[in-house]
Amino acid sequence: MKRLLSVLLVCAMVLSMGLIGAVAEEAPLVIDIYDEAANYNGTQSGWFAKVVKDRFNIELNIIAPQVVGNEVEATRLADGNLGDIIVCDKAKMPGYVSSGVVRDISDKLPECENIMQFQKQIETYNKGLDVEEGQIYGIPTEMMDTSPTTLTDDMIYSSPQLRWDYYTEIGRPELNNLDDLLDALKQIQDAHPTNDDGDHAYAFTLWPDWDGNDNMIGIANVVQLTTWYGEKLKQSAILKPDNTFTKVYDRDAAYYKITKFLNKAYQMGLVDPESGEQPWDDVANKLSTGRAYLMWYSWQQGFWNSVDRLNNGTAFTVIPVKDMYFYADADRYYGSDRMFGVGANVEGEKYDRIMEFLDWYASPEGATFQHDGIEGLNYTVGEDGKFIPYKDNALMDNLPVPEEYGGGGYSDGNNAINQWIVSANCVNPVTGERYAQKFWQSYKDMTMTDMKKEWQETFDAEDPVDYMKKNNQLLASPSVDFTAKEYDNDLSALRVDVNNQLCQYTWNLIFCETDDDFEALWDEMIEQLNGFGYEELYAFDCENYQVEVDAKIAAAE
Amino acid sequence: MRSAANTGSVNARLDPKKKRSYQEFLYILPFILLVGIFSYFPLYGWIYAFHDYQPPKPITAETFVGLKWFYYIVSNPVRTADVLRVLRNTFAISGISLFFSWFPMIFAVFLNEIKCRPYQKFVQTVTTLPNFISWVLVFSIAFNVFGSNGAVNSVMMDAGLIDKPISFLKSKDHLWFKMWLWLTWKNAGWAAIMYLAAITGIDEQMIEAARVDGATRMQIIRHIIIPSILPTYFVIVMLNIASFLNNGMEQYYVFQNDFNRKYIEVLDLYVYNYARSSIKNYPLSTAISMLKSIVSVALLAATNAVSKLIRGESFI
Repeated sequence: MKRLLSVLLVCAMVLSMGLIGAVAEEAPLVIDIYDEAANYNGTQSGWFAKVVKDRFNIELNIIAPQVVGNEVEATRLADGNLGDIIVCDKAKMPGYVSSGVVRDISDKLPECENIMQFQKQIETYNKGLDVEEGQIYGIPTEMMDTSPTTLTDDMIYSSPQLRWDYYTEIGRPELNNLDDLLDALKQIQDAHPTNDDGDHAYAFTLWPDWDGNDNMIGIANVVQLTTWYGEKLKQSAILKPDNTFTKVYDRDAAYYKITKFLNKAYQMGLVDPESGEQPWDDVANKLSTGRAYLMWYSWQQGFWNSVDRLNNGTAFTVIPVKDMYFYADADRYYGSDRMFGVGANVEGEKYDRIMEFLDWYASPEGATFQHDGIEGLNYTVGEDGKFIPYKDNALMDNLPVPEEYGGGGYSDGNNAINQWIVSANCVNPVTGERYAQKFWQSYKDMTMTDMKKEWQETFDAEDPVDYMKKNNQLLASPSVDFTAKEYDNDLSALRVDVNNQLCQYTWNLIFCETDDDFEALWDEMIEQLNGFGYEELYAFDCENYQVEVDAKIAAAE
Repeated sequence: MRSAANTGSVNARLDPKKKRSYQEFLYILPFILLVGIFSYFPLYGWIYAFHDYQPPKPITAETFVGLKWFYYIVSNPVRTADVLRVLRNTFAISGISLFFSWFPMIFAVFLNEIKCRPYQKFVQTVTTLPNFISWVLVFSIAFNVFGSNGAVNSVMMDAGLIDKPISFLKSKDHLWFKMWLWLTWKNAGWAAIMYLAAITGIDEQMIEAARVDGATRMQIIRHIIIPSILPTYFVIVMLNIASFLNNGMEQYYVFQNDFNRKYIEVLDLYVYNYARSSIKNYPLSTAISMLKSIVSVALLAATNAVSKLIRGESFI
C-alpha cells in the first residue's frame, strides 16, 4: 500500500512538473519599460496588452517615474538595470550612453524596415553622440516624414483664442495690438461677469504648476506668450527673431512686454484673483465650465470646444492680432524631446523580440493603434479605404472595446507607453492620409461649420496658419537635431536659484497695483538675479544654444 | 585535571552573570539594529555632499570635491542671505509654536472643566478629528474657504463689505502666525489627549480637600491641576526642542506659493525644493540638509546647558 502510494506521488510530481514546464514555455516575455512619458505604472492591461500579446507574446511592464517618483531612476541605475526598453528625455541619452546603460542596436536596426524609413533622422542623431562611427543607441520619438522647414499643422502651439460668439457680440473689432486685445476682453468680461452657472469668470486665469519647466526659466504662462512676438526662451536667454540672444529681464524683450501685458490686465480687473495660488486642475475645471475668456495653448480648446459648440458658434477660435509675429516650431522632422533606447543588459532572443516589437511599434499597423485607436470603435473604413471618425468620445468616456480586443474600457486599455516613434502627422501608407484625425477629408467635411465659414470670410484665410502665412506673421523655426549640453552641478544650482527668483518676482509683478510699483520691482528683480549670478548662467546658455541657432540658420537656407 | 575542574567551576560560577548580560544584550539588539539601520546607515548618504555627483555617473575618487558645496553656500552674499532667510523662517515658525506650546495644556484644562459630558466629548472629538486629515486636504479646505474665490470672500463680496477679494492665502502678512493657527487647528485636540490623561491621574482627594477649604474653580486650576501636569508639559517641550528644526514640510509645501515663499520656506522645504526641481543638484541639497544636523546638534547642546543651569542635571 505504502509503495503504491509513493509511486503514485512520484507520478503526480513528474506530471505536475511536466505541466509547469509546458506552461512555462507559453509564458509571455515580460519587458521592463523605463518610461518617462508614461502616466501609468505597472503591467499594461486591456486591449493594447492583448494586441501586443497576440502578436509577440510579450507583456509590457511600465516603470513610470512620473507616477512613482524620479527616485526610481537612481534606484534602478544603482541596480544596474534601468529597463529593457528605455524612453527618456533626450538630454539624458548621452549620459546613459557613456555610462553603459543603453546598448548599440546598429546590428539589428537595418532589419527593421519600418523604423528604417527614418534612417536619416536616426543617423543624424547618433552621429551627434560621442560614439564610434555607425553605432546606433537612440531612436528619436515622433519623427516626421515631411521636411525640417515644413509646417503641416493648421494651428500653431500658442496664439490668442477667443470665443467666437462673444467676439461677434462685441462687433468683431480688428485687433491691432495687445491693448486692443485687452479692450476686447474687457468688453467681453463686462458683458459676461459670470458663466451660465453664475460663477465668476475672468479673461485670464493663470496657474503656476509648470513654471521653470521645458528648458525655459520663468513662469510658464508668460514664457509661452513670448512666442507671440517671435521670441523663444532658451533656458535663461531669449532668442529673438533676428537669431540673436538677449537677457530675460531686457526691457525691450518679450518677457517684459508680456509681464507688463498681464499686469495691465490685472489692473483692469481681468485677471482671476486665484491665479498663482490655484493648481492646474482648477484651471482645467474653469476652462471646461467657461470661466476663462482667453486661451493661448492650441490644446486648451479641447477643454471647451465640442461638436455642438462648434456647430452653434460658441467655440473658441484663433483671433489674429495685427502686430504679432508668431514663433512656431516647424514639423519635428528630427523628432521630439524624448528618445527610445534598448537596455544594455538585453541579449540574445530577448533582444531579437524587443527589436521586432519596436519595429512593429513604428509600422502602419502599430501607428494606427496608437494614433487612431480601434477600427469599429474610434473609426470606420469607408469604401475608398480612408478612415471615417466614429465614436470620438471613446477615450473621454472610456467606452467598452469590441470583444475581439478582450473587452474592457478603451481608456483603461490605452497604450500606456504614451510615446511613439512615428508622429501622428505622418502619412499612413495604407490610407494615404495622415494618422491624425484632423487631417482626414471625412473629418474636415464633418466639421465644416457656419462658424468656420464665417471665420474664413472675416479673415480671408483657410485656417489660422494660412492667415499667418498670408500676412507674414509666422516664423516657422526649422527642426534640427540638437541636444543641449547638460548643466554641471554648479550651473544647475544657479539655475534653480535664478528660476525661483524670476518666478517669484514675475508673479508679484503681475499683481502690482501701479506702473511705478511695477518698474521698481522690475529693477529690484534685475539686481537680485544678477546677485545670484545670472550673467554666468546666461553666458553658458547663449553658448550652448548658439549651436542650435547655427543649425537652424543652415536648415532654413 | 583538578585545576581544570577548578577553572571549570570558576567559569560555571561566572556563567549565569555572563549569560544574563548576553541575554540583556539580546534584548536591546533589535533596537540597536533599528537605530543603526534607520539613523546611522543613512549618514552614509552624506558622502554625496563631498562629491560632484551627477547621476547616472557613480561617485569615484575623481568626483571628490571636498568642502566645495559648503563654501558654495557662503560664496555669494546673495545666496548666503537666502540661506539665512530660510533659517530665519525655520526659527521663527518653530519659535512661535514653542512659545505657544502651553496652549494645548490650557485647552485640556478647560476641556476638563466642562461639566456637561456629552458636550465635552463632542468638543474633544471635533478638535481631535483634524489631526487625522492630511495636509493636502487641510489645504483644499483652506483654499475653498479662504481662497480668492472662496466662501469667505464670496460672502463678504455679496454682503458688500469689500469690493475686491482679499488674498488670504497669497498674502505674506502674519504668515508665521497664520501657519501656527493652522497647525494648532490641526493638532491642539490631539496634543490635549496627553494632558487629559495626566489630569485624570491627579488625586481626587486633593481637589476635594481644596474645595472643602473653600478654593474656587480657578484656584483649583491654578494651584492643583496645572502644577500637577507641569512635568508632562516639560517633557513635551523638551521633545519639541529636540525637533526644533524638524518642523516638517508638508504643511509649508501645500501652503507655499510664489507670493509667500520668501517667508514660508523652512529648511526642510528648501532642501526639498532644491532636490526636486527639474534640474537636480543632489550634492548641494545634501550639504544644506547637513547644515540642519549641525544646527540641531548646537541647539541640543544649548538646551542641555540651560537644563544643567536650571535643573542642575543634564539630559544627555
